[in-house]
Amino acid sequence: MRPSFFHHLHPPTIPARQSRFRYTLGAGGYSVFLSLVLVISGALLMFYYIPTPEQAGPSIQMITFLVPFGGLIRNLHYWAAQLLVVVAGIHLLRVIFTGAYTAPRRFNYLLGLILFVLSVFLDFTGYVLRWDEGVRWALVAGTNLVQSIPRIGPGLYRLVMGGTQPSPATLTRFYAWHIFGLVLIMLIVGAWHIFRVRRDGGIAVPPPDQRTAPERISRFELVRREGLATLIGITILLLAAAFIPAPLAPPMSDVTAQTADASAPWFFLWVQQLLKVGDAFWMGVFVPLAVILILGGLPYFLPAVPSTELGRWFPPGGRLAQIIVAALVIAILGLTLLAVLPTGA
Amino acid sequence: MRQRILVATVLLVFAMLVVIWQVNRQPRAVVITPTLTGEEEYCLSCHADLPEISASHPIESFGCVLCHGGERLALEADLAHATMRGGRNPSDLAVADVSCGGSECHTGSAELQRDHVSRVQTSLQATYAGAIASIRYTYGVQANLTAQKAISAVQALHPPEGASDSRPQALDAFNPSKETHPFVQAFGENCLTCHLQAEPLPGPAFNRLTGCAACHTPSTGRDPEQPLHQLTTVIPYTQCNACHNRGNYDLRQMDFVPRSDTPSDRMNDYYQPIAQFTRCEFELDCVDCHTRQEAMGNGYLYNNQAEQQYVQCKTCHGTLDAAPLTRTIQDETDIALRLAYLNPAIPLQVGDTIVVTEQDEPLWNLRQLPDGKFEMITKVTQVRYPVPLVMGSGCTQNPEQQESSTCHACHDVQR
Amino acid sequence: MPATTSNAKTNAIPRRDFLTLAWKSLLAVSGALSFAGLLRFFSHEPYPAPVTKFDLGPAGQFSPGTHAVIAEARSVIVYGSQGLMAYSLICPHLGCTVESAEEGFECPCHGSRFDAEGNLVQGPASQGLKPLNLEVNEAGNLILDTAA
Repeated sequence: MRPSFFHHLHPPTIPARQSRFRYTLGAGGYSVFLSLVLVISGALLMFYYIPTPEQAGPSIQMITFLVPFGGLIRNLHYWAAQLLVVVAGIHLLRVIFTGAYTAPRRFNYLLGLILFVLSVFLDFTGYVLRWDEGVRWALVAGTNLVQSIPRIGPGLYRLVMGGTQPSPATLTRFYAWHIFGLVLIMLIVGAWHIFRVRRDGGIAVPPPDQRTAPERISRFELVRREGLATLIGITILLLAAAFIPAPLAPPMSDVTAQTADASAPWFFLWVQQLLKVGDAFWMGVFVPLAVILILGGLPYFLPAVPSTELGRWFPPGGRLAQIIVAALVIAILGLTLLAVLPTGA
Repeated sequence: MRQRILVATVLLVFAMLVVIWQVNRQPRAVVITPTLTGEEEYCLSCHADLPEISASHPIESFGCVLCHGGERLALEADLAHATMRGGRNPSDLAVADVSCGGSECHTGSAELQRDHVSRVQTSLQATYAGAIASIRYTYGVQANLTAQKAISAVQALHPPEGASDSRPQALDAFNPSKETHPFVQAFGENCLTCHLQAEPLPGPAFNRLTGCAACHTPSTGRDPEQPLHQLTTVIPYTQCNACHNRGNYDLRQMDFVPRSDTPSDRMNDYYQPIAQFTRCEFELDCVDCHTRQEAMGNGYLYNNQAEQQYVQCKTCHGTLDAAPLTRTIQDETDIALRLAYLNPAIPLQVGDTIVVTEQDEPLWNLRQLPDGKFEMITKVTQVRYPVPLVMGSGCTQNPEQQESSTCHACHDVQR
Repeated sequence: MPATTSNAKTNAIPRRDFLTLAWKSLLAVSGALSFAGLLRFFSHEPYPAPVTKFDLGPAGQFSPGTHAVIAEARSVIVYGSQGLMAYSLICPHLGCTVESAEEGFECPCHGSRFDAEGNLVQGPASQGLKPLNLEVNEAGNLILDTAA
């Protein structure tokens, strides 16, 4: 058959060994799939969601309970969003633990890191758009972290909030970032990232004379595999969306009122836990920024992984990076667990 | 590979069918748009079997959310009920001003007597000021029987009139844990189950709600777990007896002793065995004689029940020299007509002459007939009673002595 | 396996083509279901339809010779040669609200003209003003229904 547009997006053939699911976990591909689901379900939600403080909560209730399949679309959007953060994180870890961040892939690794941070910000801005009782942490603690940054904090806070305190302008801005600002950046960086994957030689593999397995698969087979993965992905997402509803609390009535048990969204629980032990700026801004900088610096400050060791998990040349990242993951997971466990203190 | 794709497609179609089945399992949405709010409400999707609460609160006008609060668009129980006021009872005094209030509703102008919610908070049934004052005086904590404390802090709607008026201007909150006398503390722990903010003692005989519903939702005798969606002004004596005539306080044990008799008829059920009463005191219901201001307050704070309650035998039966006070209804806006409208048993019209109390409250179920005689139509039992007057009879009534004991000397019923 | 040799007599379809046909048709089914679902998704109307019934008060106030414009209903009540009638003031051409002129109505958008009883006199419109349903309720009030 003549290759279609989708076939031409892929190289004519790729090494069979490294295209296996247990090597890549399909995590990069699933990140693209989930982003697509998010754009489509998000566009559908835009037909009914109203971004004003009085109407945000009621319009979401209307979508969830009254619009035919509205609840399904909203749940799809919610689960695809949370899974994107998880799957993108898995992709990041896979790249680290297989040494695929090393030259010539260092710049693409940075692009991927930016995409990961963008997906977290998209998750956060989408969460705020609920404007219900459950998002108070975001509006109070989260945005006050911005204010705590020395020198530029108060100015940056006003830029983010559209005023000196949470207001209707805040909701409009978060909406604009969520449906367009961040999406536009993600599209550009995402397209660049995928282009760079091909230009840097595809999935990281040993040089041809070092490969032990010469088999290759054709672009046709590759597209078939991706089609299969898409079908499985849609099925799982549909079932999750049908049976596990997205959270919904009563609409926020008084934006400035305080609540005692405000809780961060799950991906920021580790930051909330850090904030219990220290200063707002150091724990809430500096430490997360430091984590990103450490991750971003790994390909540049650590010795490169020899190309003979690429194409498999845990290459010895990348041991230091693997240990550093494993430690970061354990720390963040540990902090998240601490935040979730019922505390006596 | 093709096989795998086929299997995956089969699973996908199956998942879509499962989703369609799941979506169709949701409760069918039923919408009403009440005329007073103009906003759609979906409560009836699950609660269509509830009876209408009263003829004066039709659902087409009020809907549900105006009184109860709640999320009007939600079809999931926890979310829909999350912002309801007062749980199952929006008339609890903590939220009654929002639920029952409004300038056209029950926190309106005092001149038009539409300020029920504000007045109720000053009435003794809410403040319990008399019982609290009497216990504190008995045990030497306060010097006299002038009320100082109430269940919640409250300001009188009307200030006392002049130096000789002993009615309080304001009352502080009664806090048993701050009281020093152990008996007063025990009173606070054991004896505060009969005011409008208190949850009743367990048992069908005590069963009532709090707030406005304590009287206006006649739920005594029912299982407390069976909620009653009803508001009425036709309040039977059994509802008053959720708190009244239930037993006695033992001051030495500082505890409540419920009455132990098992009456089988209205006469014995109405009052405790120790009481004496006339025929009208058990054949009529409490609401036939006791007025709205006596029960719901008139904006003044009172020191005890004897001060707030003023209707006496002579209010209906007159004195040796005078017939009871009357008023002829002149126009459609007379409050007597508004009250009679709520009870179809009482056919009142413009031009009718009704008895009024010494404080000008209409006894709108007591009319003067064209031949000059007086007739009461009871509100609950709907019986027509001719009302004999003291004037022109053999009664030796003393207008200065109107306590029960004096009339009962001749008129009590033996049982 | 080639389709030509021993299968020619039985007309059997090759296995792989059957599998391909099978999954493609199931995908088409799922596409059709999704499309139907999408149409239902878009069919929800968040805002209640506007009022179409108007209580105009006692019917007796509309005596012969009446020519009363009801602005909030975009209609006119006329008691003329046909008795008590109601006409819509929405121009049948392209929907502008016609205005009262010396002998009837004129549309400010493209110049259509109608007489006092709604008949078409001139203009790009091709029909007269639409008659609307009038009824008297139990209380004796005139009810105008702009939807009928």
